This record gives sequence, C-alpha cells and structure tokens, in this order.
Amino acid sequence: MNARLARIASSLAVIAVLLTAWELAVGHGLLKAYQFPPPSKIARGFVELSLTGFPTGVSLWTHTGVTIWRVLQGYVAAILLAVPLGLLIGALSVLDKLSAPLIVFCRSVATLSLLPLVIVWFGAGELTKVVLIGYGCFWTMLSNVIAGVRYVDPTLVRAARSFGLQGPELYREVVLPAALPRIFAGARMALGVGFMVIVGAEMIGTIQGLGALIMEARTFYRSEITIVGMLVIGLLGFLISSGLAGLERQLMPWTGNLDQVRR
Amino acid sequence: MSGRALRGNDLTLGVIGTLAVILLWEAAVRTGLVSPSVFPSPSLAISAAAERLTVRQLGENLSWSLLRVFSGFALGALAGVVVGILAGWYRRFGLVVSPLVELLRPIPPLAWIPLAIIWFGLGEPSKFFIIFLGAFFPVVTAAYQGMRGVDPMLLRAGQTMGLSGVPLLLRVAIPAAAPDLATGLRIGWGLSFGVLVAAELIAADRGLGYMIIAERNAGGSVGVIIVGILLIGVLNLLTDAVIGAATRHWVGRWHGS
Repeated sequence: MNARLARIASSLAVIAVLLTAWELAVGHGLLKAYQFPPPSKIARGFVELSLTGFPTGVSLWTHTGVTIWRVLQGYVAAILLAVPLGLLIGALSVLDKLSAPLIVFCRSVATLSLLPLVIVWFGAGELTKVVLIGYGCFWTMLSNVIAGVRYVDPTLVRAARSFGLQGPELYREVVLPAALPRIFAGARMALGVGFMVIVGAEMIGTIQGLGALIMEARTFYRSEITIVGMLVIGLLGFLISSGLAGLERQLMPWTGNLDQVRR
Repeated sequence: MSGRALRGNDLTLGVIGTLAVILLWEAAVRTGLVSPSVFPSPSLAISAAAERLTVRQLGENLSWSLLRVFSGFALGALAGVVVGILAGWYRRFGLVVSPLVELLRPIPPLAWIPLAIIWFGLGEPSKFFIIFLGAFFPVVTAAYQGMRGVDPMLLRAGQTMGLSGVPLLLRVAIPAAAPDLATGLRIGWGLSFGVLVAAELIAADRGLGYMIIAERNAGGSVGVIIVGILLIGVLNLLTDAVIGAATRHWVGRWHGS
C-alpha cells in the first residue's frame, strides 16, 4: 500500500513539475501562448466553458451530455441486435462458418469511412452519428459474443454431457455462463469503439458534442478550449473503461485477463 | 477428418456465405426492392466507379493513404517500442514517463486533430502526427506492460549465466516480452488505419478518405463511395494479415507458434 502511495505521489510530482515548466516557458516566451496555452489559461477556459459555454450558451455539460446520449443510443441498439444474433450464430456451427469471413470483413471496414455513405442515406443529422456508433459497436460485440459461445472450454461441455445435459439445456446451463465473461469483455470493447467513433463523427456537420466543441474552438483560435475539451474526452474515456472493468470484476470475479484473448 | 480437410471445408462454407450475401444484395437491387441510387448493387457500384475514377486518380489516392499510414505507423510504433521498453527496464525513467502516458492515453487519437492543426497546420505533418499517436499509445502501453511482466526467474537465470545490463535486456527481457509487443503492434496498426481514414475525411485534399467524402460533397455517385469503403476495408484486412503473420513469425522465434 505504501509503495502504491509513493507511486501516486511521484506521478503527481512529475505532472506538477511539467505543468510549472510549461507555464514558465510560455511566460518567458519560449513557447507560443496560442500553440501551447499555459495551464492557467486552460483553467480559465474551463471556467468559461462550464459557466457561459462555447459557443455562448452551450456549456461544457451540454456538450458532454449530447455526446454521451449519442453514444448510448448507438451502443444500446448495437448490443440489443448483436447479443441474440451472436448467440444464434455461436450455437450453430454451420452459421458461424458461413458468416465468419463476412464478419471479419465488416469489422475491418473502418467505421468512419462509412460516414459519406451514411450522410447520403440519413442526412447529416443525429441519426447519422447514432448509426455510425451502432455499426462500430455492433461488429465488435457480435464477434465477441460468437467467440464467447464457440470457444467454451470443451472439458466443461464434455463434463456436462456426461452428467446427461444436452441440447438447449446444455446451452443454457453451461455454455452461456461460460461465455458470459467474453461477452462482457465485448461489451466493454464495444463501448470503447463507440467512444472513438463519436469524436470523429462529431467533427463534421454539428456544433454540439465534445468532438464539435474542440473543432469549433480551433476555428475561432481558442486553443485553450480545445484542450479543455480533449481533457474532458480523455476523462470520460478513462471513467468508462475503468468503471466497466471494475463492474466486470464485481460481477464476474472468476475471470482473468480477457483482453489477451483475441479471435 | 484431418485438421486440414476441416479447414478447407470451413473455407468453402465461408466463400459460399459471402457469395450468397453478394448475390442477395445484387438481387435486391435488380428486383427493385432497394433503389439503385440509394444502395447500388455490386455490379452497378463497380461500373459507376470504373466510369468516374481513372486508374491514375485511384492509384494516387491509394498511394498517399498507404504512404501516410505506413510512415506514421512505423515511427509511432518505433517510438512506442523504445519508450515502452526503456520505461519498463529503467525504473526511474518509467516513474517519469508512465504518469504522462497514463494521462494522455485515454484521449482518442482523433481528438488530437484540432490541436495537430494548431501545431502543424493543415498539411501532411498534422495527419502524420495523428497516425503516429494511433500507433504510439497502444505500442508503448503493451511494451511497458510486457517488460513489467517478464518472469523474474528468467532474468535471474540470465544473470546466473553471466548476462547483465544491455545484453540481458536484448537477449532475455525483450524476447520474453515479445508476445505483448506483438499484440500492441497489431492493435496499433488497426488504430492507425482507422485514424488515417478519419483524418482524411476531416482534413485532407487527397487519399482514399478524401476521395469518398469529396464524391459525396460533389453529389457524385453512391457507387464510388461504396467501392471506396470496400477498398479501404480490403486494404485494412490485407495489411492486418501481413502484420499479424510478420509478428507471429518474429514471436515464434522464441515462443513457438
């Protein structure tokens, strides 16, 4: 525990030293204030952004809320579609073999490359962003659900068979619980994907949301606002991933390093 | 049934499944179920692309994209490997570097686009920087964790046999961390590639990402956009397979395959 405290203290010290050096370097004209807005200016930017907002009237919290809401809609829709479909494909090995190359390919299609097509279909509004997030989350989730069901430890299945379980009962009682950790890991990865996609998707054709905020701030030469937005995006990403990892440990304490399992 | 026959069988089924979907797509458009101006069939998309794109144009955009992603990835991965390994090996360096990496890592590479433009302008360097970041963070994290996770027993065995300092690092620690490095490189490649397309969509005047967004802005053919998207996907798949095979070969030298 002491070692951990020391580590946190040294990390904070490193960051404090760096921030001070940065502030001083700008003060002495070594770095340009526009390119490297000093921490004090970033702090003022944060206050302005949370009180009056940028553009005026749209506060940081509105931007954050809009971004989260977009991610959630696409994410939930993707999970609702991917879980049943994945369970079905995973259960029938013929379906898995028929669909495997297609799923691999669809996963390889860079989600944001679909942007022009989705704009043609749905216009540049909300739906486009939700669809893009949904696409990214869906394939990540689907391949993890399938892999979770397909790669259940055969020993478990054989053990269950020798106890007389078979068919749907075997699937429900043994395969599903064993696949659950991988499915949950997929849900975590998918949320990460959704979060990556939204930042890019918001940079085109909208003025609300964190991605739009940092891009707009640049257009108006407000680099400190851009940095505040980036930090909020980073913090949000961090909270999401560490929160889900914590939840995973709580719900399924028996699972190990799922990040290392790749299909 | 032998393993190879089984695999061959899987492959056949995979091809059948893929062909079935392509045929269904073609049929849905031919029978008028889906309007060809909204979602052209594969044959229509390809003929539209052949009509509107010259080979030279396509080749130019393709080579710009590849040049960007390879150079950005190569430097980002190199920097990530060097920094990650040094931070994992030299404790003091690690204490300084890891808080900074941990602080910046959760920021997705795309969120750096505005700042990259502020720092480097709208030209090539800003795209290069974003792709660099896409490779750097996964690789540096994997390299650092790989180094921290090296079995101390291996290091002690190496020391017993007279290795120390840099030779111990090069001949024992890095090979032991190789699987983690390989995973990091693979993830970094995927991220670099995704970031490339996005950066080309948002701020570029050439490259495959630019090609498809320009087609949509000009009100051009959906077919060209679809061919572009599929091309980007195929490119990602092929390069990922090459990098996967290369890293497996490299890791296999020490860890078996």
